[in-house]
Amino acid sequence: MGLLDSEAGKRRLLTVEIPVIERYNEGRDPNYRIRLSRAGTTLVLRYQLKPCHNVYQLETRLVSSYPTVPPEIRVLSPLKHCPHLLEGQTLCLWRQGSTRITSRWDPARFSCVFAVQAAWRWLACYEIWHDTGEWPLPEAK
Amino acid sequence: MVRGGRYGLRTKFLLHPFGWRLERMAHLLQVGAGSGGMPVLDMVCRDPRVTALTLIEPDVYKPHNVARHLFAPQGVGSGKSALAEAWLRERRPDLQFRSLNCDLLDSDCQEEINRAAAGADLGICAADNEPAKYHFDALMRRWRKPWTLGEVLSGGIGGFVHWFVPDGPCYGCVASFLQRAVEIEKPKAPDYSQPQSSLPETTVPASRAAIEAIASLHALVTLGLLDNPGDFSPGFTSMLFTLERVPDVFDEPFHPYRFRIPRAAECLICRPGRGPEYASPEELDVALDQALARLGNA
Repeated sequence: MGLLDSEAGKRRLLTVEIPVIERYNEGRDPNYRIRLSRAGTTLVLRYQLKPCHNVYQLETRLVSSYPTVPPEIRVLSPLKHCPHLLEGQTLCLWRQGSTRITSRWDPARFSCVFAVQAAWRWLACYEIWHDTGEWPLPEAK
Repeated sequence: MVRGGRYGLRTKFLLHPFGWRLERMAHLLQVGAGSGGMPVLDMVCRDPRVTALTLIEPDVYKPHNVARHLFAPQGVGSGKSALAEAWLRERRPDLQFRSLNCDLLDSDCQEEINRAAAGADLGICAADNEPAKYHFDALMRRWRKPWTLGEVLSGGIGGFVHWFVPDGPCYGCVASFLQRAVEIEKPKAPDYSQPQSSLPETTVPASRAAIEAIASLHALVTLGLLDNPGDFSPGFTSMLFTLERVPDVFDEPFHPYRFRIPRAAECLICRPGRGPEYASPEELDVALDQALARLGNA
């Protein structure tokens, strides 16, 4: 019951998520566009990002209970173990009750492209951490 | 004689000692008969205007529920909906009771749940998880039914009561305003400070008294909405009532915080649909398949 098999889920995709993905893709280099595929009851976004020096392959999964639960974002390119990285190279992006608005997933305000932008920001932080040993953003509280 | 009112609340003329009077009759749809939902059900269903109830509750009454639940310990092992039915039969033998022993989010039950929502006059949400609250909100908005929600905070330090009407703020507007986030299970990063240790997360259950206090407020708001669904105006859309003083959280116990939360114009949950309208489920499926095919080869 959810995103791909309920009327509410399909309407959310058609009226919110797909239009913003199309806007994101518009005029973008084909290599950096978001591609969609179904995996059971999950919608998978595959794309690559280049925040600074390196290109990273990513996968964002909109699970059945999306948008109530936030997107899960995994980096497919190998990373060094670093802060804010969970098992399976899943990015730690959301913190329940955080005082920082961008760290608190809000299904009423955010779409999946917001999550892609959050991944871009995370990867930019990763590259700085890689060079300096310090994560440039403070911990979400 | 029965007729429909605003938000579909039905009324009937009843003969009283001093003549005919217009009385409201209500069919309620409640999700959840746990320790928080059951007292609400009990208090609301004692009102004679409530003539029918559909309860969505798949759970079984377990030993750890006994300390905080209305049901007797002898009920352990039985379904909560069966116990709720027996409870109500003793007190309201005239009440039409129907149970749906399924999870609100169960895809196999959506047709039946939709029918129940369409036939109800008012909804009561006593679910304890965010996906269920969002789903109930979508269900009630779809059928344009008013509904209420009660929530006890962890540890019983206080609780929220919210009420919703069609065209008012949705649960997404409220959750966004109150800066909520969804508790999600996610893979944990290793604990480098204690790599060998296993530290289970501690949870603090609310006391029966705290649950009953918030349930009573929830029942009062529900009955108020039943009284006057068109112009219900208690001075808030969401109320937080504190039950304890908690440093850095609540300065004093027994303090109400009243929030008038507006509908957010850009709420992605409840704003009117933009772009093409999809009248039938088939049109929706075709449009989605086309969009996925287009973006699969972006």
